[in-house]
Amino acid sequence: MMGFDLAALLGALGLGSAFAMVGVVLAGWMCWRIAEKAGLPGWTGLGAILLTLTGIGSVVSLVLLWVFAFMRWPRDGAPAAVGFGPVPGGGASVVSPPPVLPPPPQALADRRGWTLTGNGVTLTFDDSRAAYLLTGEGGGTPGELVVADPSVGRPHARLLTAAGRLGLEDLGAAGGTFIDGARLLPSHGPRDITTVRALKFGNVVLALSRS
Amino acid sequence: MWTLIAWLVGLGTFFLMALLVVHVLFALVLIVPTWRICERAGYSGLLSLFHLLPVLGSFIVMAVLAFGDWPKGEGKASSPHQPVRP
Repeated sequence: MMGFDLAALLGALGLGSAFAMVGVVLAGWMCWRIAEKAGLPGWTGLGAILLTLTGIGSVVSLVLLWVFAFMRWPRDGAPAAVGFGPVPGGGASVVSPPPVLPPPPQALADRRGWTLTGNGVTLTFDDSRAAYLLTGEGGGTPGELVVADPSVGRPHARLLTAAGRLGLEDLGAAGGTFIDGARLLPSHGPRDITTVRALKFGNVVLALSRS
Repeated sequence: MWTLIAWLVGLGTFFLMALLVVHVLFALVLIVPTWRICERAGYSGLLSLFHLLPVLGSFIVMAVLAFGDWPKGEGKASSPHQPVRP
């Protein structure tokens, strides 16, 4: 019964139509694979072929073929800069992206502490706390770094630690805060001072080093 | 009688030539983008000349592109032999 129906269908459509149907299925399958190899979703290739079955006919598929040929394929990655001469072993119209080295292994964070020295003061701290308060007069509270000097505000600045990095934020004391001679204002917010050598709080100059 | 035969032969030749020209023109519309696709895939652009072969030519080109390993690499790991990109 099924074979009879199939034969009747083929007879109705005609042998040519049957071949055309097989051809469309084959072409759709192959275009699916081609699109995937170019890095595009496979259905875009199949869809381009199925469009030939619509009333618009093959014109849309032809246009899509031209678009596919000249568009940037996801396989090619980022667009490469031109002007570096011919591509070895490649076609004249294709510029392969330059080889990309894998990123270097991430360096281990320097977990050493920090030391501020100068003016008879030595302050040592590490990143066990996220923030330290630098002040001219302290009450012995943990997280306070006391620099006993009248020019240092109470508090004067905030030191921030995070993953081996050190930050400094001025809290608006009258004496001012300086990073390697440059004035830091409260409006600047926290600044990275990991590589800074000298800090000045009021009249007190402190050398920054790793401990 | 001979005149009629000559006319028929002439018309037949004309239509055949016209068909050939149309076929070549249509094939060119396919060859140009396919040439570029073949080169981007790493094949020779000459492969696209299969479009000149009526009916089967396009299927041959598509089959090579679909089932062959692209020498310049593929976007999806559909092949176990991925070439090393330069």
